[in-house]
Amino acid sequence: MKFTERELTKGVRLHLCETDKFKSLTCKVFIQQELKDRDATSTALLPLLLRRGSERFPSTLQIARELEDLYAAEFGADVLKIGERQILEFYLQMVEPSLLPQGEELLERGLRSFWEIFTKPQGPGNRFVDSYFEQEKSTLEQDIKGLVNDKRSYAQVRLIALMCAEEPYGIYKYGDLKDLPGLKNQDVFAHYQKLLREHPIDIFCVGQNLEGVARLLSSLIPPRQETVELAPKTQSTVAEARYFEETMDVNQAILVLGYRTNCSYHDDDYYYALLVANGILGGFAHSKLFVNVREKASLAYFVGSGLEGSKGLLTITAGISPDQEEQALAIIAEQVKALQSGDITSEELEQTKRGITGAMTTITDSPAGVIDRNLLGLVEGEYRSLDQVVEAIWKVTHDDCVRVMQKIQLDTTYVLKSDGSKEGAEDATN
Amino acid sequence: MQQTKIPTKETLYCKELSNGLTCFILPKKGFLRTYGVLSTNYGSLDSRFQVPGAEIVDVPAGIAHFLEHKLFEEEHGNVFGRFAQWGASVNAFTSYTQTSYLFSTTENWQDCLTLLMEFVHSPYLTEENVEKEKGIIVQELQMYADHPGHRIYTLLLENMYHEHPIRLDIGGTVESVMNTTVEDLLRCYHTFYQPGNMALAIVGDVDPVESLSLIEEKYPSWDKEQVQIERLYPSEPADVRNAWVEETLQISQPRYLLGFKHEPVWQGVDLLRQQIIMSLGMRLIAGRSSTSYGELYEADLITDSFGASFNADPRYAYSVIGSETRDPEALHAKLTTIIDGLKKNQVAETDVERLKRHIYGSHLASYESFEYTANRFISHHFRGTPYHNYLDLLASVTAADVQQALIEQLNWDRSTITILRPVDIHD
Repeated sequence: MKFTERELTKGVRLHLCETDKFKSLTCKVFIQQELKDRDATSTALLPLLLRRGSERFPSTLQIARELEDLYAAEFGADVLKIGERQILEFYLQMVEPSLLPQGEELLERGLRSFWEIFTKPQGPGNRFVDSYFEQEKSTLEQDIKGLVNDKRSYAQVRLIALMCAEEPYGIYKYGDLKDLPGLKNQDVFAHYQKLLREHPIDIFCVGQNLEGVARLLSSLIPPRQETVELAPKTQSTVAEARYFEETMDVNQAILVLGYRTNCSYHDDDYYYALLVANGILGGFAHSKLFVNVREKASLAYFVGSGLEGSKGLLTITAGISPDQEEQALAIIAEQVKALQSGDITSEELEQTKRGITGAMTTITDSPAGVIDRNLLGLVEGEYRSLDQVVEAIWKVTHDDCVRVMQKIQLDTTYVLKSDGSKEGAEDATN
Repeated sequence: MQQTKIPTKETLYCKELSNGLTCFILPKKGFLRTYGVLSTNYGSLDSRFQVPGAEIVDVPAGIAHFLEHKLFEEEHGNVFGRFAQWGASVNAFTSYTQTSYLFSTTENWQDCLTLLMEFVHSPYLTEENVEKEKGIIVQELQMYADHPGHRIYTLLLENMYHEHPIRLDIGGTVESVMNTTVEDLLRCYHTFYQPGNMALAIVGDVDPVESLSLIEEKYPSWDKEQVQIERLYPSEPADVRNAWVEETLQISQPRYLLGFKHEPVWQGVDLLRQQIIMSLGMRLIAGRSSTSYGELYEADLITDSFGASFNADPRYAYSVIGSETRDPEALHAKLTTIIDGLKKNQVAETDVERLKRHIYGSHLASYESFEYTANRFISHHFRGTPYHNYLDLLASVTAADVQQALIEQLNWDRSTITILRPVDIHD
């Protein structure tokens, strides 16, 4: 599952993975930019606007009918956040043309329509259709407000916003409500044109007969003159651990703890140890958090930890009964301490390494997984092969895990729970 | 061993063992992962049943799901660690009609498969570990109670049905969970976890002959007599229990769900054909390619969440259409006009042909997912629907079939509306 890479024009790279393993053709386009106030909100509007219509397919209905004619082809657009980069993503997936009645013809038609829809939006040329623009602003407003509908995701986003309030990483991937009223159609359009013209673009394709795909794509992409340099990510340290509480009308309380690991992708000695240590702590059903918070103490149904490898943050999340917060926090703290003091059995270490390498191998069984595993490398400017990563994980020792866990610092604790009386986040300790 | 060509040109192997277990094996060349799932034809609906010569048994709601949690427990700890030694993941899920236990692994798939069959057939239930599980399950129910999509769906079924157990949440209630005993659990276990009531599927780069002989050799021996299970359901009136229900939750905007209750008259091939016909019909109403979608979106009455589905089994059948919306009443009024319009001979041949291409492509694409494929083989087997005929049946469906189904099934006298509204925020 290796990619070959070539530059189509300045700053536009094409990565091809020729394989007959899948019954589909999958292409993803990633356009990178710095995570910035206001720009983040403008970018978040683009996927919503582009699906409204293009020159050749001027409405959602016409786009949808084209996709149905292509035998359930999927076109989509979204916004991702990796470290302090915001990424505009376009994707195409269609059934392997050789399995379909009109084969090759459909492949070319699919690619042309895909590219058209995402680069030639309907409008007078310097702006999106005004009525679409106004309506999609309110759609984005609802999307951002709608985060609260999924309490676990909401709590995780709130923790990051509070913990990284002074850093770009604190910005939500879909931007901020306060920016929305001020966004102007022409400015958002200009921002979009700039992304296409000057920002780094990476196109990944997985499937069969990709030379044909490459030829077609390079004929569709106009030459570019320059590529912007993106700023490196910021670093921050913990001054004092903070605690925030927010109340809502909910049945279950959600606890989220955010740690700074002081370690990231390029710290060769630590990065893979951190991956393994996080796995031992809370990545699996055999992990310390699951065993102790859920299985032994019966406090939670979901509890686990996760890692953001670019920014170097570790978070722990648990859904608990509101009257058991103290008990849960104490057991969670004990598990972190256990790792820091070397309480890791050889069984835990072995199982976790197998679990991580198994999961990494598994993602290469899906075309989207084959592509997405490169995202961190894309943002960090250094791709690593599956073999390389698997080898690095197997090299991690007990002592490596202890050392890397001793570097982590609790920054922020956030609790969402029912209380009835107050609204909004308040700092309860300082 | 029976061999069937599936639409992706791969071969599916199938066999019923002498103990009654049905096995499906789909070899996938070049893939690194193996997925295995062992399911029992037993879900939340089966809360009242009888075996020959015994009394009718009634058990608390949510017991199939409770059992699903408990089978992972062993005398010394749980089974997660044993799968973890091969880097495998193991999980389970319970639906209205079935309970499934699954693993996914890139190493030692034979060991994983053996362990899967072993742990599902080795219940270890004690007063103490059953009590302990209650706290975990209650937190799971609370998580769903805060989840608007789950909450509104549960509320809809609760108000569509008078008596049928589909009106109850799959996990039961906090009260039914707290009232569940070891005895209840074991009685259900021994009734429904017999190989004749179960099926197993494997998808991955495996050899079908090797897989099958491994299953035959390692499947726990079964010398007990297998009994016929009679599942008992209350008689259910044709009308809905409540035609309009509202509730509040902490959400960003209202949600609207319209449900139509159908008479569950379809079985076997008719059921599968009806599912295809209705999925086309539902797409005519809520698909992005429908004129109604554009109309409702332009009027700012729906969001991306707008969708429709037909759900059927020999025991129940209903359709659901809904969206998040700023104005549930206005959406309901417009949707009424749209549905009545479609019922008045407005289903166009060209639309249906285009949608059939979409369904054809989606069906082919669905075989890319190991999970979806394996679970489909099993659920269609339990339901008695011939999944391998899917594309032939699709080809046979006409615009007139869709037209007729919409007229007959979208009957306003058997419809119910559920609305979730945001809680008022008092500052």
